[in-house]
Amino acid sequence: MKLDDETTDVLIGGYLSKEAADDDYDAVLACGGYLHGAVVVAKDLQGNLSVEQTDHMVREGAAGLGAVGFVVGLFAPPLLAATAIGAAMGAGVGKLLHHRTASKLEEQAGATIPIGGAGLIVAYPHSAAGKVEPAVTRAINKVVGEAEGHHVQALKGAIADAQQKMADSGA
Amino acid sequence: MSVPDRTRLPIRRPPFGGVSNKTLAGSGPDWDLIGHPVPPAGSPNVLLVLIDDAGFGNPSTFGGPISTPNYARMAEGGLRYNRFHVTALCSPTRAALLTGRNSHTVGFGSVGEFAGGFPGYSATLPRDCAPLPRILRDNGYSTAAFGKWHLTPDGQQGPAGPFDRWPNGWGFDYFYGFLGGGASQWDPCLAENQKIIGTAAEYYDQENPYYFPDAMADKTIEWLHGVRAQDARKPFFIYFSTGCSHAPHHVAKAWADKYTGRFDQGWDRLREETFARQKALGVIPADAELTPRNEAFPAWDDVPSHLKSFYARQMEVYAGYSENADHNVGRVIDAIEELGELGNTLIIWIWGDNGASMEGTITGSFNECTMQNGIPLTDEMQLQLTERYGGIEAWGGELMDPHYGAAWAWAGNTPFQWGKQVGSHLGGNRNPMVICWPERVTGTGGLRSQFTHVIDVAPTILDVAGIPVPSSVDGIEQEPMHGVTFTGTLTDPGAPEHRTQQYFETIGNRAMYKDGWWLAIRTPRIPWVITPEALKPYAPGVWDPDADPAELYYLPDDFSQAHDLAADHPEKVAELKELFWAEAERYQVLPLLATLSTFFGMVPPLPAEARFEFRGDVQNVLSGMIPRIYNHSYAISADLVVPAQGAEGVIVAEADHLGGFSLWVDGGRLTHTYSMMGVFIYRQQAEERLPAGEVTVRMEFAADAPKPATGGEVTLFINDRPVGKGRMDHTVPIRFSGYAGMDIGRDNGGVVDRSYEDRKPFPFTGTIKKVTFDVKPHLTGEDEQELHVAAHHGHAAHALAQ
Repeated sequence: MKLDDETTDVLIGGYLSKEAADDDYDAVLACGGYLHGAVVVAKDLQGNLSVEQTDHMVREGAAGLGAVGFVVGLFAPPLLAATAIGAAMGAGVGKLLHHRTASKLEEQAGATIPIGGAGLIVAYPHSAAGKVEPAVTRAINKVVGEAEGHHVQALKGAIADAQQKMADSGA
Repeated sequence: MSVPDRTRLPIRRPPFGGVSNKTLAGSGPDWDLIGHPVPPAGSPNVLLVLIDDAGFGNPSTFGGPISTPNYARMAEGGLRYNRFHVTALCSPTRAALLTGRNSHTVGFGSVGEFAGGFPGYSATLPRDCAPLPRILRDNGYSTAAFGKWHLTPDGQQGPAGPFDRWPNGWGFDYFYGFLGGGASQWDPCLAENQKIIGTAAEYYDQENPYYFPDAMADKTIEWLHGVRAQDARKPFFIYFSTGCSHAPHHVAKAWADKYTGRFDQGWDRLREETFARQKALGVIPADAELTPRNEAFPAWDDVPSHLKSFYARQMEVYAGYSENADHNVGRVIDAIEELGELGNTLIIWIWGDNGASMEGTITGSFNECTMQNGIPLTDEMQLQLTERYGGIEAWGGELMDPHYGAAWAWAGNTPFQWGKQVGSHLGGNRNPMVICWPERVTGTGGLRSQFTHVIDVAPTILDVAGIPVPSSVDGIEQEPMHGVTFTGTLTDPGAPEHRTQQYFETIGNRAMYKDGWWLAIRTPRIPWVITPEALKPYAPGVWDPDADPAELYYLPDDFSQAHDLAADHPEKVAELKELFWAEAERYQVLPLLATLSTFFGMVPPLPAEARFEFRGDVQNVLSGMIPRIYNHSYAISADLVVPAQGAEGVIVAEADHLGGFSLWVDGGRLTHTYSMMGVFIYRQQAEERLPAGEVTVRMEFAADAPKPATGGEVTLFINDRPVGKGRMDHTVPIRFSGYAGMDIGRDNGGVVDRSYEDRKPFPFTGTIKKVTFDVKPHLTGEDEQELHVAAHHGHAAHALAQ
């Protein structure tokens, strides 16, 4: 399946632990749905970054998901949004979105993944949504963006849509 | 030798019985002058043990699931008391226990962290209520306290004292433990006598790490041996007050693993099992009924299957932690036995001071202070944060400050309703007590069911020691003890009821007991819910306590409070309501403070100080005494001398990775790390290295808005030049830690930034001349007042959870 065959979905999940992100990453890979790519990015308590990704996007000739800057904004901390004490959510998310044109996956993740946190990005054709989305069960915050178009442009559009939804959910 | 007058303390020196001439010629000495008071002949040693935050249905000795062989040993050689009562909160029970008076009368209607402006809530022991250890000491006992104290006001726990509010001031010759309401069992910030000594040196020993419960027993035995090395006969009074089973629930994995799989059946079934064992043991009447689950607690069957192991581990750790407490009390008892003194040692062992604690919220928490800071976390979030800090197998380890879910506490209070904070019901007010005194107790292994209250303990100890309650101490006429001796029950199972009436009150939850009848009035707020919405109904002018719903129980027929008879006996409800108000006035319960209502419009004055300077290597500033940087813009600056080869290490650090901050130097770069309760961790670092020589560094936090938990921007400066920046979206609104201290020039105990864990305590290698905190006011006085009120609510909530 080529990337431009249909609508592209991008799911972004935020986690408070790498273990939880890994669980969903494994579940997505095992769900049986076609994937354009999946990446899990985590930062340990010492601040060290780890990245694990499938090679689907490379084999599809899409130059890799990291090349389109999709990791940005993958972890918008939502915890205090619902609390009585409140929190300043919008400013942080806006800042993350501002960086979305950056290109190096690890640099971006280093700037946006909080210490101890993790994020999951999965790109897939819309037809696979019924298998992929239910597999993501542990995300603290989960959004799905979508866009139609061609190759990288479709992916970028879906990522931007997902990021906007993430920002909206956290504000 | 004349008989001393023990009713007026200190005991007056005896009259000189010798002869003093102009010279020694013809003079005769009176050697009694250089003696000291001695207790009446036969006075027993006393070991008073108090377990923390535990319930009636916890220890196996009372049918619970937690193995307590030493408690059982004492019960088999002594007596079980199954109608023993406490208050529903830590400090009040301790104050009542050690003074023999109702807690409000001695200023402890609430907890030590919260010294309010009413006599019943001052957290300050009045001089006309001399406590038990002072009375025993003045009568010739050696006295010592080990473990949790929780009777010193929060802001008075440093070198400036005043020390009459510390354990030594209460009459203990020696103290080793912690002053607050809870502490890490791995790296507590310790106090010894009148000094905060901080983290034990053994904490840094990787092979034999420090563990507070073990150290408590070690220190007790060491003290005991020291006393006996000096004086073979002087009786001792040991107050052994465990940090267990209060959160954080810390215990070595091996202890928790003893309970692997033992709680997979969940809390509903556990209550049924415990209830059945209680009946089989006979510690509850055969006709007692198991009270049903309140809807505030979830059914175990409704817990998602993938989370059940997470919940079960919480209880496994609690159980292992509690069994370890039993083990260490047993070590102390063994030491007394090894001295050959067990026969004449009165051991009073109370398993819990306020019922089991429900303050872990429904989910339980990897960090008990998240609730106290008003951070709601779902069980999935809690699980993920647990994974972040080592996973559920590490629950109980050093990287978390865990508290189990509220329903486990409810199960621990079987067969009763509710628990800690709920002073209206037996779940918070009734705890097991065992008394063992081999030379005096008869009918060993028996059960006593006389209605007994914690205020009765001190009069009983004095009674068996033959020491009167003094009428005057230091020239001050004394308030009589409110407790009544129950010595008669030690030898007579049919001893008459010595207590027919008692009020109970804890943050507005209240009860009135009289002749078997129990009026229960519970404020509807759930103990673990402290949102402004939950508190508003109790604001002054809003709350009408007489409109609160009342329940009525007749305990002789209803051991567990299963049948509310209020509708059938309105006249009894009215009678007991009236009696409660009379008792409340008599014992300084008034003004009645429902939940946290005292803090609506009745807050202390705004802090007068906004600038705090620390010179030298000040260490172990307790968490309640650090500069109040919460919810404000602030700056931390330091005057340093950096050697030519550069410097690294911690300039100033508060608490640890589960909540705290550290300004430190990493590879020559100024770095600031801030942990928002271990949920969010922020780090900013300078883009250049520190120069050599005299340097001033500074971090500034510019708050977004005058509101709790405000986010803001951090800027780092070297010699007033910005060198780094970053953002913190959320900050700690109330308090970083319940126990961990602040240090200049190092990070004692658990560290704030885990990246220097392998270098802890990571002392600064240059010179720190001064560290200054400058708390910036918000723009308007109105903002300041609103924040002050909000912070005050939060501090109170924190305090109540201790």
